[in-house]
Amino acid sequence: MNAHLSLAATLLLCLNSLAMAQASPDLDPEITRLVALKADPFKGKVAYEICRGCHKADGSGKGDALYPQLAGQHASVTIKQLVDVRAGRRVSPKMHPFVDKDVVASNEIADIAAYLSLLPTPNTNGKGDGKQTGLGKHLYNRDCASCHGKRGEGDGSKFYPRVAGQHFAYLKRETLESRDKGRRNANTEMVKVLKHYVDADIEAVSDYMSRLRAD
Amino acid sequence: MTPPSRPPQTTPRLLLSAALGCCLLFQWNSSLAAGDAAKGKTLAETQCAACHGADGNSDVSLFPKLAGQQAIYVLRELQDYKAGRRQHDAMSPLAATLAEADMEHLAAYYAAQESKPTQVNDAKLLPIGKALYLEGNSKSGVPSCDGCHEEGGEGSKRFPRVAGQHADYTLDQIKQYATGKRSNGVKVMRTIAERLTDAEARALAEYMASLK
Repeated sequence: MNAHLSLAATLLLCLNSLAMAQASPDLDPEITRLVALKADPFKGKVAYEICRGCHKADGSGKGDALYPQLAGQHASVTIKQLVDVRAGRRVSPKMHPFVDKDVVASNEIADIAAYLSLLPTPNTNGKGDGKQTGLGKHLYNRDCASCHGKRGEGDGSKFYPRVAGQHFAYLKRETLESRDKGRRNANTEMVKVLKHYVDADIEAVSDYMSRLRAD
Repeated sequence: MTPPSRPPQTTPRLLLSAALGCCLLFQWNSSLAAGDAAKGKTLAETQCAACHGADGNSDVSLFPKLAGQQAIYVLRELQDYKAGRRQHDAMSPLAATLAEADMEHLAAYYAAQESKPTQVNDAKLLPIGKALYLEGNSKSGVPSCDGCHEEGGEGSKRFPRVAGQHADYTLDQIKQYATGKRSNGVKVMRTIAERLTDAEARALAEYMASLK
């Protein structure tokens, strides 16, 4: 078991180094630092306890409550979102107090992210009504797959989130916010694409993503 | 369990979760407080019993039950009283007289006592309290309590036991957090207390009291 852990830790470090190498120059240096850190998933499991009240012990979140699924997410993505929420670049009033530096130490962000990246993604996530998955698939493959991957696996080295198995309601809300209110830390290229989407398109593509399985 | 079409990464991930679980269990076992429960008993009987009961099962609802409380939490609160990070008319001067070793002994003693069942004042509130305890209130951003205090309310090495605590005491602490009167510990409890309605806080306190 220790061999598995060492292997995973080494792999994480390699992936994280890769992410750092490809990080855009305007990235918060704190994100770059944490991604490069040799994170400890054991410590991460303990530090994650404070998150379990919403995101649940298995990282599955809550589909009806817009708490995202975190299990299996790329460590770099989790790090970026946590740092962005703490810094106010991503506005999340509900979550903000829980990532305060007095609650989660900076380095613990990397530990939590490493731990979550190792958890299997549950397939019990919330899904849409399934009526427009054909349209969803068409849009996803045309506009989203080049970054988020054909199977929704994302790309940790470029901070592209894994979207496969994410809750439908969460995907829909975040995508709508990225289009309309400018979720402030959203990728600008993605926002450009989304400007052409009507609500029904967003619903369809969110439903399709929620049904993808990346592993 | 794993479909054959999946890449092989899933199995190591599951193994890793198991490995993490095992190692954390060892960490937990080796991190119990170093105090001497026998010395703690003497201290408790002479200094604490009048309010907290001889074995930590206080029978005054505004004085917390300490029987079965997590040793690390008892120790931290005593340290905080002594340092002025937590304040109470009776506890602050008392804690000021305790040496660090005394605090460790007391923590070990109370942790080893059995928490006796606590009276529930209003059983009608239990279903509401239970739902909040296990699910939180996602509209107002209240996390579930079991995330930190565990499903049975027994707490952990990081978070206190809430099971069997007097509802009046729990409620008073929630109010103190909400008003900033109790400011030790993390910001988490203050945030949660601010987001709870009075009715929710009462239901939660009753449910925690009912936990064994």
